[in-house]
Amino acid sequence: MAASLRVATDVGGTFTDLVTFSIDADGRQVIRTAKADTTPPNFERGVLDVMAKAGVAPSDVAFFAHGTTVVINALTERRGVKTGLVTTRGFRDILEIARGNRPDFFNLAYDKPEPFVPRHLRLEIGGRMTYRGQESEALDLSELDAIIAGFRAHGVEAIAVCLLHAYANPAHEQAVAEQLRVLMPEASVVASHQITREWREYERTNTTVLSAYVQPIAEAYLNGLKDAMVAGGFAGQLYVMQSNCGVDSLEATSRIPITMVESGPASGFWGAAELGRLIGEPNVLALDIGGTTAKCSLIENAQVRIKTDYWIERSRETSGYPVMVPVVDLVEIGNGGGSIAWVDEYTRLHVGPRSAGAMPGPASYGRGGTKATTTDANLALGRIDPNYFCGGTITADMTAVNTSLDELAQKLGVDRIEAARGIVRIANNNMVNALKLVSLNRGYDPRDFTLVAFGGGGAMHAVALATELGCPKVVIPRGASVFSAWGMVMSDLRRDYFVTRLIGGGETAPAEISALVAEVAANARQQFAAENVSADQLKLVALLKCRYQNQEHSVEVDVTVGSFDAAAHAALTAKFHDMYEREYTYRLDAPVEVVGLHMVASAEVGKLELGKLPVTGALLASAVKGRRQVDYATDGVHDATIYDSEKLEPGMSFTGPAIIEDPGTTIVIHPGNAVAIDPYGNTIITLRAGEN
Amino acid sequence: MAAIHDPVTFEIIQNSLAAVSDEMFAAMRKTAMSAIIYEVLDMGTGITDAVGEIASSGAGIPAFVGVLDKSVKAILKRHPLESIKPGDLFATNDPFYGGVTHLNDVILAMPVFAGDTIIAWTANIAHWNDMGGMVPGGMSTDAYELFQEGLRLPAVKLISEGVPNQALMDVMVVNSRLPDFLKGDMWAGIAAARLGDRRLKELATKYGRDTFIAAMANFMDYGEQRTLAGLRALPKGTYSFAEEQDDGLIYKVSIEITEDKFIVDLTDNPDQVKGPTNASVDGVMIAAQMALKAVTDPSLTANGGTFRPIVLKTRHGSVFDPKEPAAHGFYYEVEMRVFDVMLRCLAQAMPDHMAAGHFASICGTVIGGPHPDTGRFFTIVEPQMGGWGARKGRDGNSAIFSGFHGETFNCPAEIAEARYGLDVRCLELNPLPGGEGQWRGGRGIRLDYVARADNNFLTVGYSRARILPWGVAGGRDGTGNYVEVIRTSGEVTKHAFATGVVLNTGDVVRVQTSCGAGYGPPSERAPESIRADLLDGYLTPERAEEVYGFKP
Repeated sequence: MAASLRVATDVGGTFTDLVTFSIDADGRQVIRTAKADTTPPNFERGVLDVMAKAGVAPSDVAFFAHGTTVVINALTERRGVKTGLVTTRGFRDILEIARGNRPDFFNLAYDKPEPFVPRHLRLEIGGRMTYRGQESEALDLSELDAIIAGFRAHGVEAIAVCLLHAYANPAHEQAVAEQLRVLMPEASVVASHQITREWREYERTNTTVLSAYVQPIAEAYLNGLKDAMVAGGFAGQLYVMQSNCGVDSLEATSRIPITMVESGPASGFWGAAELGRLIGEPNVLALDIGGTTAKCSLIENAQVRIKTDYWIERSRETSGYPVMVPVVDLVEIGNGGGSIAWVDEYTRLHVGPRSAGAMPGPASYGRGGTKATTTDANLALGRIDPNYFCGGTITADMTAVNTSLDELAQKLGVDRIEAARGIVRIANNNMVNALKLVSLNRGYDPRDFTLVAFGGGGAMHAVALATELGCPKVVIPRGASVFSAWGMVMSDLRRDYFVTRLIGGGETAPAEISALVAEVAANARQQFAAENVSADQLKLVALLKCRYQNQEHSVEVDVTVGSFDAAAHAALTAKFHDMYEREYTYRLDAPVEVVGLHMVASAEVGKLELGKLPVTGALLASAVKGRRQVDYATDGVHDATIYDSEKLEPGMSFTGPAIIEDPGTTIVIHPGNAVAIDPYGNTIITLRAGEN
Repeated sequence: MAAIHDPVTFEIIQNSLAAVSDEMFAAMRKTAMSAIIYEVLDMGTGITDAVGEIASSGAGIPAFVGVLDKSVKAILKRHPLESIKPGDLFATNDPFYGGVTHLNDVILAMPVFAGDTIIAWTANIAHWNDMGGMVPGGMSTDAYELFQEGLRLPAVKLISEGVPNQALMDVMVVNSRLPDFLKGDMWAGIAAARLGDRRLKELATKYGRDTFIAAMANFMDYGEQRTLAGLRALPKGTYSFAEEQDDGLIYKVSIEITEDKFIVDLTDNPDQVKGPTNASVDGVMIAAQMALKAVTDPSLTANGGTFRPIVLKTRHGSVFDPKEPAAHGFYYEVEMRVFDVMLRCLAQAMPDHMAAGHFASICGTVIGGPHPDTGRFFTIVEPQMGGWGARKGRDGNSAIFSGFHGETFNCPAEIAEARYGLDVRCLELNPLPGGEGQWRGGRGIRLDYVARADNNFLTVGYSRARILPWGVAGGRDGTGNYVEVIRTSGEVTKHAFATGVVLNTGDVVRVQTSCGAGYGPPSERAPESIRADLLDGYLTPERAEEVYGFKP
């Protein structure tokens, strides 16, 4: 099967993971996984190592998708290059002033985050554009000589250019960037309009600065990977996972690496959307529970929600840094299987955000961990089988589990089991609140959504969370523990274009909207043509950001890409009123204006054709491993049937209480849940009798 | 499910209260029409218990955390319990009727019923752009009666059993210069309160009414425990401080810290003033609550229990407890000032833990006029960022909103230029000298607005213009907060409190906010820190030599 493999590789801080997908002669999807050490600074070696471990030669690979944490790690560890900023006269302090906010608002000892470029490397140039994109003061490029001398004196390696109103007219920025590339070829240069065409100068400046800061590192990394793959005989296209749930080419990513910033969770959410399309579940709450964090996102009408107000390092304690690139709308909390449970000085139980990590890991790993984690609580409650821990690869150290739980129980004044239940309930509550943030806080009712849970820990908590939120159904995908990798190989080549443009409701509106859509579409076609995607392969979706006059927050209303006349404008306005009212419960008779465009451009780059699994006619009883007492916290202790996931096949169904054991995860099924295995091997759990 | 009075259930309910407050905040922010609400986040949401003790707050502004409880208590005082029905919604903005702040801040509050019993209230506060009054935006430094500052809503029923009081709404709408904004902001607030009502009912149904109520009570006790733990660590005693203000008045505070009480005595203070610089006793209580939080438990946990240890003493008829109909438009500067005096007083007791003086003003700036491109009338109502004081071991923050603010965001220049039709010529760190020390104060801002049309007007209310942020342990004082109006003729006038200053095309409004004060003698500043300041242009070589005795 030459060059038919679909391979996803993921370089994390500690491990480099590989997952391959292929379809065997019976149409069954075959998944293989391998793990190797990450090998900084020559990360490509770890990728080749993991391929060798899996027995995959680069020449066997038809589709290679690559995810990496190199950008986010370089940012959070402050390992980027020395970066300079060129900005409009009067605004060099924007990066330091930021927005002036302070989330930790009772704390008068708050420390504002430091800017990524110190003041002496933030240099100004004259020239102004208006908010309508007209030049109001000419640019004088001769000012660059002194700026460059300043940068050279301090050994600047990368330059960010961000000028006021460049989103409306980038001419000055283009001129500055071009001249810098000519006069200072040793530095990498990026201008804000290359990344975003949206207004808000602090957010745009910071985004440009962060992209410049990591650019040389990311480019060297990606080139190293490409060279190694090509040397090994790889002849296909190498795709890099992006934060907008798509993949992009290595060359485009090298220019603007900041688009990778939150690519880790994005692929899983894309997978959930793809799976939803396949099995007829367009409205999905997607939940990914790993070792240290839980991440969730909402998918409506099979569409992931892409936004540009992402911030790194932001919390209730600090304001963080904005990254104005398309990022899947997600909430991440420090609550995973390895999250540590602790009791504060007021005898209140907490779980996370500190994690036991890979070393020492949860107490049950027997590697010296003494703090009880969520995983340990799940073991104590019989939800995870101590004799089939991590697919039987680790012997659970139940003595350590009990000791760690007893310590908490003593502080709380309860017994060990009650402490374990408390941990699971608090962990669930943390995750419920995260799921509420992506649903209720965005105006969606979780009762209209199916919960799709994956990652190593998703299946363990999914039913309890869905019950709490009122979701009628839970889906645990086949291969849930490597589902993110599956999402990666299912991705489209995708770019999201966000453009700010104010268009009032007057007579010229249809022509202005027409021009805006045509302009962005032409730009997308041109960029995709450079990736060898023809116009007929390219799918364009235009979403106009509309609002009531003077409101800030907009609703995205889809319009067809093509001519846009007065009738279309009237239809747009009517649709806006409807969509607005659905989301906010009322409508106004205020004028409607357009504030910008979000265009999604995508092209399929070869997906895995998922076939239905063969049915052998085996009896359900053959999949039963046994029975054991399982503690379902507030749902009581029950004698549960234990199933082997690898022996379950399409058409089988049963009811809880039950546990399904998979080498990578454990599915906890509460009493009264109805379980069915679908034709693709996914586990469908219906929570309430009489509904589906 | 049977009622469970276990700590984990309590914790889950308490977390859910926070989640509901946040959800209300998100909903209101998204739907509000006024930039000062959705962009500057001059708003808050919260939940109180049945008698009006704050249980949870989604406020982005700490000074708004303690407002909603006082409003609910005023509503309960004015309306007999039997007259309050499911579906009712109340409005107040009047500081003499639980409005706490000034008439622009409208509070909407809704009782949450389980059966026929009130189990909680949901409420929100937001700065509505124009409630009428003698000038656009309502706030005038010339006002001498509350009547001049807008329409007074004395804790009245705006919605009765789900049916809007159309007459009242019509009165509110016609009294506003910006009726569309008023309607939009009002419905955003109503929707948020109703959303919270639905969520709390779901919680009470799920866990049982009694468990719900018990969880709230438990949460209040937890808040109190945290404060008491903080109080125990403080030096006990009585501390007093008097400070002259820009207007020449002397504010005096005496704070007694005991094992379980935080007694703030403000009785010995000036009579209420004729102008709009009075603060209601409820407003002054908020200053005391914030001072208590800062020294006992600066975490985000804040509820009715947190503030139980406070005893506040005021004199009716004084600037901190005025009689009707005292004007309140610029109450926040008074509240800010008294908060600052409290911090300065406490700094005597714990100098190692308190920062030097910060710019300590809201620096409320109002500019209005015709938009030259659209012809529509615009109004900017915004606070300003400034420099914070240094503290032991750390330079002060530059360009951050005052201690009264939290999740308050400035308006980006790119949006301001589009929305307001003014040019923003610069937004940079204030280059003026001041605030030096072993650790230096943070820098304030310099923000230049240039008028693009004739007949714009400017109203400002800045304090700490004359009496500067105080240095600690030998640190230099900071600089002052003020606005310069630079005419096209070159004439420059300086303002701190002014109303209706006319601006014509080309005139510049230069906002200059204070640099925070320094901590410790400048002679002790590390040479490498001085060099870094010189390199970054925070300091000139001349000033470095003058203050630090530094020669490169």
